[in-house]
Amino acid sequence: MKIFNSIQLGNTGPACSDCIHFENDPALIEKNFPGLTVMSSAFASVRDQDGFCNFHQLYLSARDSCPGFVSRNKKNR
Amino acid sequence: MTIDKTGLTGIDKPNGWQEFWSKEDWWAVWLGLGIVLLAILFYLSGSSISWIAVAPAKWSTISQLASQLSTNAVRYLALLLAFIILFSIVVSFIGQKPGAFIPSFIFVFVLSAIIYFVGNWDQASRYNLEPPLVALILGLIISNIIGMPRWLDAGFRVEFYIKLGIVLLGATLPFTLIIWAGPVAILQASIVSVVTFLVIFFTARRLGLDKRLAAVLGAGGAVCGVSASIAVAGAVRAKKEHPPIAISLVIFWAIIFIFALPLVSRTLHLSTGTGGAWIGTSEFADAAGLAAAQSYGGLADKNLGIAGTADQALASYTLIKVIGRDMWIGIWSFALALIAVTVWERSENNSKVQVGQIWWRFPKFIIGFIVASILTTVIVHGNTLADYNKLVKPALIAPITSLRTWAFTFSFLSIGLTTRFRELANAGIRPFIAFTAGVIVNVILGYILSVIVFGHYWSNIVTH
Repeated sequence: MKIFNSIQLGNTGPACSDCIHFENDPALIEKNFPGLTVMSSAFASVRDQDGFCNFHQLYLSARDSCPGFVSRNKKNR
Repeated sequence: MTIDKTGLTGIDKPNGWQEFWSKEDWWAVWLGLGIVLLAILFYLSGSSISWIAVAPAKWSTISQLASQLSTNAVRYLALLLAFIILFSIVVSFIGQKPGAFIPSFIFVFVLSAIIYFVGNWDQASRYNLEPPLVALILGLIISNIIGMPRWLDAGFRVEFYIKLGIVLLGATLPFTLIIWAGPVAILQASIVSVVTFLVIFFTARRLGLDKRLAAVLGAGGAVCGVSASIAVAGAVRAKKEHPPIAISLVIFWAIIFIFALPLVSRTLHLSTGTGGAWIGTSEFADAAGLAAAQSYGGLADKNLGIAGTADQALASYTLIKVIGRDMWIGIWSFALALIAVTVWERSENNSKVQVGQIWWRFPKFIIGFIVASILTTVIVHGNTLADYNKLVKPALIAPITSLRTWAFTFSFLSIGLTTRFRELANAGIRPFIAFTAGVIVNVILGYILSVIVFGHYWSNIVTH
């Protein structure tokens, strides 16, 4: 079934966490989501490692991926 | 939305074992279980941690209050010092600065102590000075009217304090209660969560809102407030501006319900167990709900016609909220991520959903809550009720309860201190209507299930 094809156990390819466009410092998230600390926290387990994609302007998982991936290491070379 | 990143590094990439010391949830587990184990060791050796777990006793005159303060001043200072040391370790590990945290925490501790003492004044209930509500109102006044320097925010860790308090609460609840009441809590909470989510989601879609925003709003109203909103936002790839909308709406309704649910429960003379269950079903965030449940439980034994005990309100609330709702956030995130990938963005790319997020997003403090309950249940097992009340309660349970009350008070005060209404994002009328539709259904359905369908069950839960 198609739905099962969309599930994977782990991401072995490039992930957002290694992408130049991605930022997920908890303090940055708390700073940019007004009121987050009133009843939750960016240091909570539920957030996992989610963060901001500055390319697509999204809030997503660090384990996500997309065709716009640019390696963070590439920039440092 | 422009990302403000002044002075921030940008990347947080904990992996594997690092999760154990980079997340507040795990630290609530380590500290909470550490305190419980220490309390058990002292108890088994014929002693108690009650010296440092100091709490105000009932007082009626200023001279009695002064006498308490002068007698116990060293104990309060020792408690403050212990909290500072432990919490400074936590903030260092999660990447914050102890130098900013410590003065802020001293401020929180001193105000909490004042609130705790006021709550033990024998006339407090006459003036409705319920400590959770006093803490919240005082915090709101300071942050919204008086104003505070921004650097003081470092010590207002609402979520960490409440999770620590919940782990300690686990130690005061018998594990048999969790086993006995857990399935009902899960059934009741699941019915309300699914219905509330669907109402918010389809109302939002009907009003023309984006599917991802609809899901983020729905999770906030149905599962566990702000935490659920940000978890689902990450799972469904929400736009950056979506979470702040949900955050504003959750805070708005959660603060109203902290006052409204206990007030309505009191008017209807609900038992504390039933009132706690209703609050657990219909409040949004853990800290807000605990403030309401503790406040309502505090009305027991005040000749107001409210049956039950304070512990029953906290127990039924926690079972519904933590076991019935919070625990399932990973499942919600996974299911919505799957829908997002297979239905909403079919044509966009070939993204996959990782099943591991069910665990990654699991609120780990629940593990501490359950383990703490098992530990004390094993220790207490075999005592008669008379022995329990005479020996176990004062030496083991009472000091843990005292520390739990401190942690909850820090949290309730911090809710008020961090709520700056003018800084919250403007939610807009359509998200407000969608969310409010869910709130109305949630509160009515929550009442029917808590009071009419399972009322007898929640009124009679045994907490010792």
